[in-house]
Amino acid sequence: MSDTFRNRLMFAVALVLAAIYLFPLYWMYITALKTGSAMFATPPKFWPSEPQWGIYEYVWQSRNMGRYLWNSLVIAFGAVSLIAVLGVGCAYVLARYRNIWVDVGLFLILMLQVLPASLMVTPTFVGFSQFGLLDTPRLAVILAIAAKSMPFFVVLVRATFMSVPMELEEAALVDGNSRIGAFFNIVLPLARNGILVSAILIFMQAFGEFVYSKSMIQAVELQPASVGLNSFMGPNTNEWNNIMAYATIYVTPILAAFVLLQRRIVSGLTSGALK
Amino acid sequence: MKRFLSSVTDGSGFDIGLVLLPLAFLFVMSGLPLVYNVVMSFQEVDMFSLGSFARPFVGLKNYIDLFSQPETRPILLNTAIFVSASIAGQFLIGFGLALFFWVNFPGASWLRGLFLVSWVMPGLVVGAIWNWILSGDFGVLNFLLRETGAISGNIFWRSDPNYSLWAVIIANIWLGTSFNMILLSVGLSGIPKDLYEAAELDGANAFQRFWTITLPMMRSTIGAIIALGLIFTLQQFDLFAAITSGGPNNTSNVTQYWAWDLSFRQYDFAKGATISVIMIVFVMFASVVYVRSTRHEVRG
Repeated sequence: MSDTFRNRLMFAVALVLAAIYLFPLYWMYITALKTGSAMFATPPKFWPSEPQWGIYEYVWQSRNMGRYLWNSLVIAFGAVSLIAVLGVGCAYVLARYRNIWVDVGLFLILMLQVLPASLMVTPTFVGFSQFGLLDTPRLAVILAIAAKSMPFFVVLVRATFMSVPMELEEAALVDGNSRIGAFFNIVLPLARNGILVSAILIFMQAFGEFVYSKSMIQAVELQPASVGLNSFMGPNTNEWNNIMAYATIYVTPILAAFVLLQRRIVSGLTSGALK
Repeated sequence: MKRFLSSVTDGSGFDIGLVLLPLAFLFVMSGLPLVYNVVMSFQEVDMFSLGSFARPFVGLKNYIDLFSQPETRPILLNTAIFVSASIAGQFLIGFGLALFFWVNFPGASWLRGLFLVSWVMPGLVVGAIWNWILSGDFGVLNFLLRETGAISGNIFWRSDPNYSLWAVIIANIWLGTSFNMILLSVGLSGIPKDLYEAAELDGANAFQRFWTITLPMMRSTIGAIIALGLIFTLQQFDLFAAITSGGPNNTSNVTQYWAWDLSFRQYDFAKGATISVIMIVFVMFASVVYVRSTRHEVRG
């Protein structure tokens, strides 16, 4: 068996595996384009005979998706900015030193990373309501998400800072930079890519966040798209083509960003999660 | 004052400031709720006392009530089934895929990365898609199973008490497989190739090589991934909200959904806090296992 043949065979098998795995995604896109009757046909059609392209505009208008997505964006941007501002410095210090305090800090951060949001939401909600934070529900959700996701961000960014040679920073200090100057002029630019990828990962998570938003945001005008999708799916719904169109609009930008940045995201993720 | 300022801009004060600010934030936003959670689990909390700090302490009453409720045992059992079945499924499929993609061929890493789309999708969207795939009369999974002859009649995944938990497990296995695969791939690529060459020269077949080299070399990775899987499955909430909402009659309810349901559906915040405390202790235990198995890497 020649090498080229083997490679092609492996690639073909891998394509089939990927196709099976990604079938749910395909099914989402296909269902969205089906008519009401084609959706419930038996046997189901695996290719829409008369694609309903108008459904996206219809769902966008009727479900008021612009408002939902805007709220998702506000929450995700808020959470990522807060996490980045606070987390970058923390990751830098944890990467630069090796002592018992750093170990303790890392351990605490890893511990906080694992707390399930659905369990933390009870005390957070009660505490926030007592301090009146629930009057600005989106801010409350941003704070909660920041607390939940910052540990993960710190772990990822720390891995990036570890790969920045310390000699560069020392050279800058010798040349007369202050610590702040060396940090902003030398270290931060060198770690920029890693920080950006981690921030994008956190952004994607925050963009799809559900537990905190569902629990803390009562006003419909302030709810993000995940909560909107949840209230769209009643117990006995039969509008599956509309729901899938909603899901398509919601998820396609994330998927596009992922496919574009795939290589960086995968390597950033693997370097942080296990190292 | 001047010395303080110069320490902040140009000394150890800079580091301390950088690290103390986020730690203070995490302490207020995560640490205090943790403590508050424990306090609430010993209190009587209802809608009226929600806003006040002075709530009556009731000792262990919440814990005793909780364990005398008839649904507690089935839900704990469900959680155990959900966690072990999800981890087993994710790990086995993920390991199989990782081994397959380990055979290097052009395009392998690109295709492998494509699997990770499940990981970046919002959990609620994944839940919505699986809800539709698993639907009883018109679901495509039932159709495929019927066509292949695996079942004769439709399975009502979401409403049949025998299957409702498995509906969520299937979706969760799909969701977690890619993550397992990627991490296992990283572990596999860390095994020195000459080990295999030596074994091949000694006449070991593929199965023996897997059993005596791959598995032992992967031990710490596998430990870390199982612990991570435990942590992630116990965080899984969105799929329950999107597929079964814990029903019918709690047959697909698990503790992490139940805690939320008690607090925000039945407004029994004390009970919600009580379950949270129990589960958080459990998760913390799992994360100690995880940190220990990655310890050499964490400390460098």
